[in-house]
Amino acid sequence: MQDQTPYTPSNTIRIVTAASLFDGHDAAINVMRRIIQSTGVEVIHLGHNRSVADVVRCAVQEDVQAIAMTSYQGGHVEYFKYMYDLLAEAGAHHIGIFGGGGGTILPTEIDELHAYGIKRIYSPDDGRALGLQGMINHLVSSSDFVTPVTFPNLATAVKDKNHAAIAQAISSAERGHSELVSFARDTQRAPVLGITGTGGAGKSSLTDELVRRFLLDFPNQSIAVVSVDPSKRKTGGALLGDRIRMNAVSNDRVYMRSFATREANVAINRHVKDAIDILSYAGFDLIIVETAGIGQSDSQITDVADVSMYVMTPEYGAASQLEKIDMIDYADVVALNKFDKRGALDALRDVRKQYQRSRRLFSNKPDDMPVYGTIASQFNDPGTNTLYRVLIDKLVERRQLQWSSTFRATQEMSEKIYIIPPHRTRYLGDIVDENKRYDAFVEQQSQLARTLFNVRGTIDHLTSLPSD
Amino acid sequence: MSTSDRRKAPSAPSPNPATVPAAVATLERTAADLEAQLHHEVRTLLANWEAKKASYRGADYVYNVRGKEIRVKNHVESLAHTRIPKISLPDVKDWGEIVRWCMQENVPGEFPYTAGVYPFKRTNEDPTRMFAGEGGPERTNKRFHYLSKGMPAARLSTAFDSVTLYGEDPHHRPDIYGKVGNSGVSIATLDDAKKLYSGFDLCAPSTSVSMTINGPAPMILAFFMNAAIDQECEKYIRAHGLVDDVTAKITEMYAERGLQRPQYTNADGSTELPDGNDGLGLLLLGTTGDKVLPPDVYEQCKARALSSVRGTVQADILKEDQAQNTCIFSTEFALRLMGDVQQSFIDRNVRNFYSVSISGYHIAEAGANPITQLAFTLANGFTYVEYYLSRGMKIDDFAPNLSFFFSNGVDPEYAVIGRVARRIWAKAMKYRYGGNERSQMLKYHIQTSGRSLHAQEIDFNDIRTTLQALYAIYDNCNSLHTNAYDEAITTPTEESVRRAVAIQLIINRELGLAKNENPLQGSFIIEELTELVEHAVYDEFKRISDRGGVLGAMETMYQRNKIQEESLYYETLKHNGDYPIIGVNTFLSSKGSPTVIPDEVIRSTAEEKQRQITNREAFQKRNEGTSEIALNRLRETAVANGNIFEELLEAAKVCSLGELTNALYDVGGQYRRNM
Repeated sequence: MQDQTPYTPSNTIRIVTAASLFDGHDAAINVMRRIIQSTGVEVIHLGHNRSVADVVRCAVQEDVQAIAMTSYQGGHVEYFKYMYDLLAEAGAHHIGIFGGGGGTILPTEIDELHAYGIKRIYSPDDGRALGLQGMINHLVSSSDFVTPVTFPNLATAVKDKNHAAIAQAISSAERGHSELVSFARDTQRAPVLGITGTGGAGKSSLTDELVRRFLLDFPNQSIAVVSVDPSKRKTGGALLGDRIRMNAVSNDRVYMRSFATREANVAINRHVKDAIDILSYAGFDLIIVETAGIGQSDSQITDVADVSMYVMTPEYGAASQLEKIDMIDYADVVALNKFDKRGALDALRDVRKQYQRSRRLFSNKPDDMPVYGTIASQFNDPGTNTLYRVLIDKLVERRQLQWSSTFRATQEMSEKIYIIPPHRTRYLGDIVDENKRYDAFVEQQSQLARTLFNVRGTIDHLTSLPSD
Repeated sequence: MSTSDRRKAPSAPSPNPATVPAAVATLERTAADLEAQLHHEVRTLLANWEAKKASYRGADYVYNVRGKEIRVKNHVESLAHTRIPKISLPDVKDWGEIVRWCMQENVPGEFPYTAGVYPFKRTNEDPTRMFAGEGGPERTNKRFHYLSKGMPAARLSTAFDSVTLYGEDPHHRPDIYGKVGNSGVSIATLDDAKKLYSGFDLCAPSTSVSMTINGPAPMILAFFMNAAIDQECEKYIRAHGLVDDVTAKITEMYAERGLQRPQYTNADGSTELPDGNDGLGLLLLGTTGDKVLPPDVYEQCKARALSSVRGTVQADILKEDQAQNTCIFSTEFALRLMGDVQQSFIDRNVRNFYSVSISGYHIAEAGANPITQLAFTLANGFTYVEYYLSRGMKIDDFAPNLSFFFSNGVDPEYAVIGRVARRIWAKAMKYRYGGNERSQMLKYHIQTSGRSLHAQEIDFNDIRTTLQALYAIYDNCNSLHTNAYDEAITTPTEESVRRAVAIQLIINRELGLAKNENPLQGSFIIEELTELVEHAVYDEFKRISDRGGVLGAMETMYQRNKIQEESLYYETLKHNGDYPIIGVNTFLSSKGSPTVIPDEVIRSTAEEKQRQITNREAFQKRNEGTSEIALNRLRETAVANGNIFEELLEAAKVCSLGELTNALYDVGGQYRRNM
């Protein structure tokens, strides 16, 4: 087996990982993407069951060097060739396609795919010879280049909302080549909705639900999503994991770009601001900036956003904890997501009070504070409907927009449609208790029967004795 | 107490005769007191013990099923003229032992059903159920007829291609096109379903159909039910001499619109039916019974078909989210669809069809050990029970429609997986849920482990499969699929599948000890292992319960992470050789037992794929207009919280699978991936 020390990239490398369409086998790609991350790569992971269009759209928008796929469900020859063709169509020849599918991809098919232009299909024999890290080292070292700017006139292509051009412009800015994107500098900024919150609060699910509603509400408008995740300081790698939850981005009216915080390690760095300029220049009607909650810098979102929203859950602990959350003081709107969690109504009251206190709005009723309970994971959630409408109205007001939203929000509260009623969630514990009660009963009865058997035996024995 | 046993103690010292009467009197009082403390059911079981033993000693055993008296021979004679008892009872005398045995083990067919849910195995039907599916419906139909040839019962098991598994239609788009008809059959319309099962009487008690599909299960089930309904219509048409009238009517319908009628077409383009297919189900191909029969007759045919179809649809969405990933709808919406199917089954008296096959197989294939497989699967099963109860269904109305599906590997715990599953289910159903006997009976299908098939020394795979099949048959599984030895590297051929079937047949029909139907009972290790596994499952139940039940645990991906951990443990031991696998990591051949690479793999042909696309397009064109109306009704029903499956039964007549799926996305939401 080859050397198993991770390769050290000299450029910033971004790779898309996914499993093929109609293919649920995600164990292998999950193992691979972790090793790719720890080799210092920014990984945009899309998960299982991904169409070629989804993967290529992501690769182009994210301006990656490579795509790493697994395919275990057959149809791999058509799948990989189609991917090559779609990349070529998008002018992204430089994006390398790498794949694997264990024994399902025959050696002759590997040859056929390599001849077509697929960079590398790894076979089980490669796995044995190279080892996992060896395979990843091959992938990463083959992808260690600066992504090219392929448009002679980047500004025009960006203006045409060409996703590849936008991606290249953003990368150029990120690499510090601001001269390449000077065209965007003095653009009137598009409306920006800033979303921030703690990890695991359901930010990306909520963002997805807002994007879905926007697309339905405004059939002719376009939307861009900028999402920032932290880099690992130790390896430089990052898992850019928001995109996997975003179902609504599979739409031509949406552009999404994932950022790693990189060296600066602050949620909003200069590059994000450059990206906003470029996306504004491209003419997007709305830009959503989503950042991970990484402490104090969260509130920077308010510097770039016209309307900002903080996403949290009812599980923050004691009410005094709320006093420590800076964003409650700064956000225009607070979403209390996972509103089906225990204590949600108490949390809603406490967060509203905190919002009121921090702004000294004592003449208003706490119930009028812009804090909304949502369950983003629930389809057509009434709370999310209300939240969407409030956000749009605030954007319209702040930026004097000529939008006319026809989205109906019913002012209903989010109410969980329970599969298992809350008072029944201990059902498995109850079953264990009941079955063990039966077992104890059996033992008790068995012991009684045994004693009785012995007593009867003794009586039989005594009465059978000769009475001499 | 009628059982009085006069024992002679060989070396008992003689007591003083004078004190005997007083001692006996005291003991009689003690005995009376003890007897009063025995539960009346326990007293009855002790009273009936000798009679129970005797009932298995005579020539015939007599029992009742749904009011019918059944007589079964108690013995099988060997070549040496030994009378082998089908059910062997313990020869214990101690009442404590008898009580414990009857309450924890008992004979097959009696609570807690540890040894089996039926008193005896079926004599007219082996548990063999072989999974098949490849290419278009015609190719799979031919394979089904090949597999059922000479079998007294047709037990079909359907593998669908991945396009169908994800609820989409065959299409020219290359990422879809390459998967059409590969690793399973392509089914996009009612026409496809009719061809797939043609020549099998779907309403006959000797036919049972299993369908391995989950996300789009309600739609595929609607196709199947309509295929069965139209077969009933066809039988009615034939019985009433209406064939010519109906055929003329259909021909006219097609002529009027200038369309071509769909036809059964083999992979090679020929249209003759395969050996064994008498054409039942094809008379109404391209139309439905309600278009050619009066409404009252159609409704009668429909009711008859639904109450007689026999089979299983997998439809287990919980394990999809935990292990297998063919989720298409949000989990909550998918569960609601399952509940609608079950409600429909209750309303329409669908008694012989399992609405779900609660599956551990995929959990095990993803890497879980046997205890985790069993615990997660039973926990999922109880979750469906709780959900259906919360929708107001009665336990005895739906519990008999639940079935289970496990993997059998070679681990020791697999020797008792059925015993433990049956025992836990029966106790919980009886005491926690108050279910009747039918509800208490857990029935399950076994497939031998796919993960235990290796790509090295593939001939050895049949040996592993044989041992796993032996576990399954000794453990009284209700149905069994044995894997073909070459499945690790390719799609099985007719030759390898024949060998796989032979494994089961040799055990069932040749192996002498298998003539006995409770060979595991009474073994010290089996009893101890049963108890160990039962308690390990309870421990896992408690861990899941502490996380808010199955759905609560899924939110933090508890099940998924545990499966991954166990998979990694196995891979590590396999890799370092601590877990020996013959011909894989030890006992290698002189050539080092290299990975076997197949010369070619059976894949669907370009013609088959094209035909599926053309047929789907023709179907959609034929139903232009009517399909939109049906889809709108489907969406409206979903929004109004009506029974979606009832509406699917209608929409499936005129809509393709992909149309149905996409309409439901609009009203139920798509699955959101996570990590």
